[in-house]
Amino acid sequence: MLHKTPISAAVAAATLTLFTAGCTATGQVQPKATEAPAQVDYTKMKPQELAEYLVFQSGSYDLAQPTQEGTTGKDRLTQDELQKVCSQVARSGKEIDDKTAERINKMAMATIKYPEGGIKLGDWRKGRDIAWSGFGFRTAHNPDDHNRGTPGGNCYNCHQLAADRTGGTIGPSLTGYGKIRGSSPEMLKYAYEVIYNPHAYFACTQMPRSGAKGLLTQQQILDVMAYLFDPASPVNK
Amino acid sequence: MIKKALCALPLALALVSTTSTAKAPEDILDELAAKSKSPYLTQSPQNRMMMPDNPAYDIAAEGEQLFKQKRGPKNASLEQCDFGKGPGVLKGAYVELPRYFSDTGKVMDFESRLVYCMKTLQGYTDNDPQIRQRHGNTDIMKLTTYIAMQSNGMPWNPPMNHPLEKAMRDAGEELFYRRAGPMDFNCATCHTNPSGTRIRASVLPNIKIPEEWTKAISWPAYRVGHEAVRSSQHRVLECLWQMRYPNLKPDSDVNIALISFWTDRARGQPAILPDMKR
Repeated sequence: MLHKTPISAAVAAATLTLFTAGCTATGQVQPKATEAPAQVDYTKMKPQELAEYLVFQSGSYDLAQPTQEGTTGKDRLTQDELQKVCSQVARSGKEIDDKTAERINKMAMATIKYPEGGIKLGDWRKGRDIAWSGFGFRTAHNPDDHNRGTPGGNCYNCHQLAADRTGGTIGPSLTGYGKIRGSSPEMLKYAYEVIYNPHAYFACTQMPRSGAKGLLTQQQILDVMAYLFDPASPVNK
Repeated sequence: MIKKALCALPLALALVSTTSTAKAPEDILDELAAKSKSPYLTQSPQNRMMMPDNPAYDIAAEGEQLFKQKRGPKNASLEQCDFGKGPGVLKGAYVELPRYFSDTGKVMDFESRLVYCMKTLQGYTDNDPQIRQRHGNTDIMKLTTYIAMQSNGMPWNPPMNHPLEKAMRDAGEELFYRRAGPMDFNCATCHTNPSGTRIRASVLPNIKIPEEWTKAISWPAYRVGHEAVRSSQHRVLECLWQMRYPNLKPDSDVNIALISFWTDRARGQPAILPDMKR
């Protein structure tokens, strides 16, 4: 097990002996007067202020990068009100307070648009494909080409659904969803709303706003719902 | 070939080796796993079994040659590169990065410092493939693997003496919790869940559990699924891709701030270098 690492260590040890003479005790070199002046002094900024500077002004991100929805990298990084509030909640490490939660719930509920024909379950087979797929909207070094595939819902990443595939555990298990809850109009409306914008019920949840952010179409949401509710769906077997 | 040659070297060499190599990476992992009972640390017995024959060792051997070879327009080796503990000192340097460097007036992570040395000592520029090609079977990954290994088993200990080091770490913490993008993700979405939480079948590491976090940040690691050694900056980039964020430039301050914060959170825990990941 030790047959490879020692050689490099021996070399490092030798190098160490050769060069330690030129080092300070801590290895930390004192700043010189000749150092190039920084354009902005990071140490004068509050952490959050510096974080925002780094995102938008340090040249770190490709802010002009085109996105699949026709915006730019800068738009992707610009926070809306909900993202700002929920970042602070996450940063605090505490549970969200009731008043803030209520405000987020209301704000989220106001974003929900319902299908014109009412909430009717779609095709559970299509819903299964959507629930499984993690394709879509990725950019960075390898942008997803939406002409080559339909964006998915990423549901399986966080939820266990049918027993035939291993799902994640970031969110609760949804196995047997319709079987347990039935499919009353109230139940369907609730599920539609949770998929469309989960913050309407769970303020600052980790779950994406698939409808409100245009990640899934209304029809795709109805297909995913069929996967959850249809008695023929593997979720309910 | 190189691997076989190395294996054939007498055991005597092992005896003169110092404490950093007293434990192999897999032994460090085993001790962390025994101590914490973390499902993240024990999720892949297959990877654990392969660690003694980690392909990263072959890549490191190539890196050692590159490090000592006179190369570039200035025909110089990297043996005078100062990674923070003095010119040429590699032992323990990797676990004390990112840090402030007075010659650039900046906090630099390992990769940005390596690139700085390749430019200043060897004369390479941004247009040269030696600098431009970061990920995959590249010079930078070979050098990274060789140099990082000299800190195997040592506790992460990025200095926080200079005000800029603190500023970058603290900004990194803000970035870690900053939700953005069409899916509202931050780093915390995946890295603050209870131990054992999975994304699909993969157990996620939690930044608040130090034994998990040291493995999470132990890059370079050979990624079996990629058939390549990957770096810290590659991990940042892949996370941002999944998070639906725009492209992040190599060596940028967002990279360095995030890596400053994440290294600080593994402080005191032994580095597993090189690691093997899925």
